[in-house]
Amino acid sequence: MLACNNLTIAHGDVVAVSGVNLQVGAGETVALIGANGAGKTTLLHTISGLNKARSGDIQLDGTSILRLSSDRRVALGIAQAPEGRRIFPGLTVEENLVVATANWKKIRQSCADDLDRVFQLFPRLKERRTQLGWSLSGGEQQMLAIGRALMARPRLLLLDEPSLGLAPRLAEEVYERVKVIASAGLTILVVEQNTVLALAVADRAYVLEAGRVVLDGSAAELRNDSRVREAYLGR
Amino acid sequence: MADFFQLAINGFAIGGVYALAAIGFVIVYEATGVVNFAAGQFVMFGTFAGVAALVNAQLPWPIAYAAALFAMAAFGVLFFLLVYWPLKLSPAVTVIIGTVAISITMQNAALLVFGSWPVRIPSPLEGMTVEVGGAVVSVHALLTMAITALLVGGLWFLLHRTSFGIGMRAVAQDVQAARLMGLKVGRVLAMSWVLGALLAGAAGLLLGPMWFADVNMGDPVALKAFAATIIGGFGSLPGAVVGGIFVGLSEVLGASYISSAYKDLISFGIMIGFLFVRPQGMFGEKIQDRG
Repeated sequence: MLACNNLTIAHGDVVAVSGVNLQVGAGETVALIGANGAGKTTLLHTISGLNKARSGDIQLDGTSILRLSSDRRVALGIAQAPEGRRIFPGLTVEENLVVATANWKKIRQSCADDLDRVFQLFPRLKERRTQLGWSLSGGEQQMLAIGRALMARPRLLLLDEPSLGLAPRLAEEVYERVKVIASAGLTILVVEQNTVLALAVADRAYVLEAGRVVLDGSAAELRNDSRVREAYLGR
Repeated sequence: MADFFQLAINGFAIGGVYALAAIGFVIVYEATGVVNFAAGQFVMFGTFAGVAALVNAQLPWPIAYAAALFAMAAFGVLFFLLVYWPLKLSPAVTVIIGTVAISITMQNAALLVFGSWPVRIPSPLEGMTVEVGGAVVSVHALLTMAITALLVGGLWFLLHRTSFGIGMRAVAQDVQAARLMGLKVGRVLAMSWVLGALLAGAAGLLLGPMWFADVNMGDPVALKAFAATIIGGFGSLPGAVVGGIFVGLSEVLGASYISSAYKDLISFGIMIGFLFVRPQGMFGEKIQDRG
């Protein structure tokens, strides 16, 4: 579904991602793991259209999306729950969710079914629906960020460090939900520093180091790879 | 008492105009981060759009007001395309200086077209007064209050009850996240300039019959609107409304009970007092509270 071909991204003169090849097939959950500063977030931003690529290509279903604006990419089905959650602090939970329907919702069209689906997945959000975004706990904000991305009716869901800043118990809870979303058939690309959690939900994974893919394979292979164990799993 | 009542109504009316100008300023600031130093000239343009439609073209009232507001909306789009968009990647200072430059250009353009003689726009309610509890109140002042209330209510509805308005607030709070949610950010920013211009236009049209239409009227209005946003809380819409009315009331009451020579001193004195004691204003939040 998604293919990055020989993708190089730079911030000014600093090359953040160089020559990355990455594929995500329909229905797959793919993890992109690596340490802080490896270029993971830059890559996701570029897929969503916030950054420009220096060279290479990004294709969705075989067509290049590099020249499209971010709102066009969302309309084509790429939604992202960004790093640090980036909830709209002054919007209520429900407004945060409704705002993400901008790419498909016509005036007077209802998004009640989509809301119900998100509330079913994250019942806590339903209790908090009239509360302002900033007043939620970190775990609730993460759930809202994922729910918000789902409201865009994506075909490809990008998750950027959904475990960031959460207590281990909460991070696991978030990943349980990610598993539910994946098993419903949605294609997911998840960026994560927490390798244990990411490899537990992913079918395949890429390891990014200093802007290059140094390793890729099935999640099971990577879990048993000595380099991964040493560098990222702490065993 | 009747005197006081009459003055208070006038204070509310002029305060409503300041409030509209302040809201126009705040909407643009919140959405685009630009402190628009041309905000006062926007109001002046609104007044002169009224002059052109009512005095020069002699259009009937409803058509004239609609035409003036339409011209202001078009001006908002133009300002967005010619001033904001080319400068959007520049540092804030550049944009601010840009608005100062445009402000001077606008003032001189108006001088060139309309000349330096002040013109008076008649109100459709010219000379009409009503007696309320012994006080003689101009109907135009009452209408100004009503229209201000209506516009503020309409704006609240737009920002809180429509998808477009919620999108505007989202863009104001986090542009990058708004892009990721598929919002057409450019369109939203353009709309906030249009809204700002429309509110300034409404303020200018209401102000026309109260003051003389004068090409130099923009600066005093801008200063009052600025004082209103400081007193109410920078960036807060309810603050702009309350601050505007506060400035209008203090100006009118101060002029008649203290001294008309010091009426500006009173409102700016209060503003300075706020900056010393409560810089976030009445409705302002401390930045860290925004999460």
